[in-house]
Amino acid sequence: MNKFFSEFKDGMKNFGTTISIIVNSILLFLVYLIGVGLTFLLSKIFRKKFLDTKPENVKSYWKELNLKNQKKEECYRQF
Amino acid sequence: MYILGISCYYHDASAALLKDGKIVAAAQEERFTRKKHDIDFPINSIKYCLESQKISIKDIDYIGFYEKPFLKFERVLFQHISSFPRSLKTFISSTPSWVNERLRIIKILRKEIKYKGDVLFIPHHLAHAASFFISPFKEAAILTVDGVGEWTTTAYGKGKQNKIELAKEIEFPSSLGLLYSTITAYLGFTVNNSEYKVMGLSPYGNMSKTNPYYLKLKKVIDIKDDGSFRMEMSYFKYHYSDRMPSRKLCRLLEGEVRKPESEITQRRKDIAAALQMITEEILTKILIYIHKITKLKNVVISGGVALNSVYNGKILKNTGFKNIWAQPDPGDGGTSIGAASYIYHAVLGKKRNFILKDAYLGPGFSTEEIKKFLDSNSIKYSQFKDDNELVKICANLIFNNSVIGWFHGRMEWGPRALGNRSILSNPCNPEMKEILNLKVKHREKFRPFAPVVCDDDALKYFDCDKPIPLPADFMLMVYPIKKKFHKIIPSVTHVDGSGRLQTIRKFQNSLYYSLIKEYGRLSGVPILINTSFNIRGEPIVCSPYDAYKCMMGTGIDYLIIDKFLIKRSDNLGDEWDSEKYAKD
Repeated sequence: MNKFFSEFKDGMKNFGTTISIIVNSILLFLVYLIGVGLTFLLSKIFRKKFLDTKPENVKSYWKELNLKNQKKEECYRQF
Repeated sequence: MYILGISCYYHDASAALLKDGKIVAAAQEERFTRKKHDIDFPINSIKYCLESQKISIKDIDYIGFYEKPFLKFERVLFQHISSFPRSLKTFISSTPSWVNERLRIIKILRKEIKYKGDVLFIPHHLAHAASFFISPFKEAAILTVDGVGEWTTTAYGKGKQNKIELAKEIEFPSSLGLLYSTITAYLGFTVNNSEYKVMGLSPYGNMSKTNPYYLKLKKVIDIKDDGSFRMEMSYFKYHYSDRMPSRKLCRLLEGEVRKPESEITQRRKDIAAALQMITEEILTKILIYIHKITKLKNVVISGGVALNSVYNGKILKNTGFKNIWAQPDPGDGGTSIGAASYIYHAVLGKKRNFILKDAYLGPGFSTEEIKKFLDSNSIKYSQFKDDNELVKICANLIFNNSVIGWFHGRMEWGPRALGNRSILSNPCNPEMKEILNLKVKHREKFRPFAPVVCDDDALKYFDCDKPIPLPADFMLMVYPIKKKFHKIIPSVTHVDGSGRLQTIRKFQNSLYYSLIKEYGRLSGVPILINTSFNIRGEPIVCSPYDAYKCMMGTGIDYLIIDKFLIKRSDNLGDEWDSEKYAKD
C-alpha cells in the first residue's frame, strides 16, 4: 500500500513537472515572439546593431573600457 | 575581517574565504558533488570554507560575487534579439535559469546560507584581474582573456599596489576563448572542459604556416597589429545556439563535426595545430602591444585562456616581459578568490599582505580521521613508522613501476593535482604512458603526462625561463625538455619534445619534494609522472573515500594516504571497473 502511494506521489510530481515545463515553454514562446520579436523588428527599422558580427576596416578593435577601482556603492549594483 | 568570494551558474562553481586579506580556504564545488565542472550554487564549498575556520555565516563581513548578473543578462537578451528567430530554442531553455537563479543571487544567498550582510558584485574581468593582488608584483600589466564575462571577452590594463585599472576591451561576440571552444567542439571534444586536449593534440599537427587550415582559420578572424581582433560571426553559432560551429565553418574546414570517440585524423590534428598557432599569434601581438604601452616588466595573465600552458611557456621569450604570474586557477573557478581579493584591496583599500605561494587551500583530513575511515570499512593497510620510511618505500615502488595514488594534506585549488591528490609513477618506463592512459585514466592515447621536478633540478632537464616563473609551480607552463633527456624520460616527453612540468619548492610540500629527491637517488633522474588523482570525466578526488574508490576502480597498485599504505591486491573484494563510467 505504502509503495503504491509512494509511486503515485512520484507520478503526480513528474506529471506536475511536465505540465509546468509545457506551460513555461508556451509562456516563454509568447514572450519571445512579442518581446524579442517586436524589439528585433524595431531594431531593423531604426538600424540598431546589438552585436558586432563582422570585421570592419578600422585600425584597432580595442574599445575603451576604463574600468577603474570600483567604489563600494557601485559594487552593490548588479549592473 | 572575513570576505567570502563566490562564483557559480556558468561553469566551475567555487567559493573562497579571505581572512584579513589572506586566502585561508578555497575549493571548487565539483570536488564535493563529484559532478565535473559543477555550476550549481557552491553550498558545499561555502560550508567547507566556514568550517575550516570554525566560523559561521554571521562572521562574514562581505560576500563578493564574481560578475554583474544584470549586465550579463542584458548581453544575453541582446543576443536573442539580434539572432531572432534562430535564438528561440536557447531563449526557452536558458530563461528559466536566469529568472530563478542568476538574477536572484541575493535571495539565494539569504535562503541557502542565511546570509544577511552586504553582497558586492564585481565585474567579471575585474574578478579575473584581481589575481594581481595575490601575485608577488607591486606593479604589473594585466591581461584577461576568457570566453565571455558580462560583455568583455578580452581586457588589458595594469595593477599598482591596491589599485587595478582595465583600460581597453574586446567585446562579445568576438572571443578568443569561444573561438578555441568552437574548434574544440568541432574536433568532437566537450566545450568548457576539453580545450586542453586540443592544446595537447596540436603538436601532432603541422605547426608551420604551411598548414592549410591555418590560412583557412585566418578567414574567420581579423587580427590587427595591436592584437585586437574581430570574428566573422557567420562561421559561428554560439551567440544563438548550443551548437558552436556553423555549417559555413564545417565547409571551410572541409568536414563535419567529429563524432566523440571516433578516429582523430591528421586533418583534425592539423586543425588543432592551426588553432593553437592563431591563438599564440593573437596573444603575442596583444602582449607585445601591452608591454609597449605600459613599459612594465611584470605581467599577470588571467581568464580561461591563461590555462593554455603551451603558450604561457613562450610568453617571456616573445613579448618583452621579464616576469609572469597566474594563479593556480586562472579560469572562472578562480574568480571567487578574485572577487574576495578585489573587495578587500580595491574596494576597502586595505594594504596587500599576502602572496599565494602554494595551491593547498582545500579540505584536509587528519591521521585519525583517515584511520577511522580505513578501520570502519575493513580496509587492509599497513602504517609507516615515519616520513622517512614512507618516502623510501614509495620511491622504491615507483622505481619498480608501480602506480601510486598519493593523498596527503590539503586538496589543491584549481584544475591541476599538485602533489596532494596525485597519481605518481615512473617517467623512465617507456610503457608507463600507455599503462596510465589505458589502465588507470581511461583516456585518449595522444594525451601527454606531466613531469614534476624539484625547482633546484628543473633547469638541468628543462629549457625553462630563468628564474623559473612561479606559475610553473602550478603546472601552467610548458617548456622544452632538453634533447638528451627525451629518451631518458619518454613517458613525460610529448611528441614535440615538451613537458608541462610542475616545479616543486621544499617549503611548499616537503614530503613530496623528498619523495622526488629519493626517486632521483634510485633512478638517477629526480623527476616523476604527476597526473591528477581521478579517472577520465571525474573530478579530482577530495576525500579518503574518493581516493580509495578511485584506486579500486582502476589499475592503481598502491594508495599512500597520510601515514598509511594500502595495497590494491590486498583488498580485491572492493574492486570495481571504472572504465565503463569514464566519460569526457
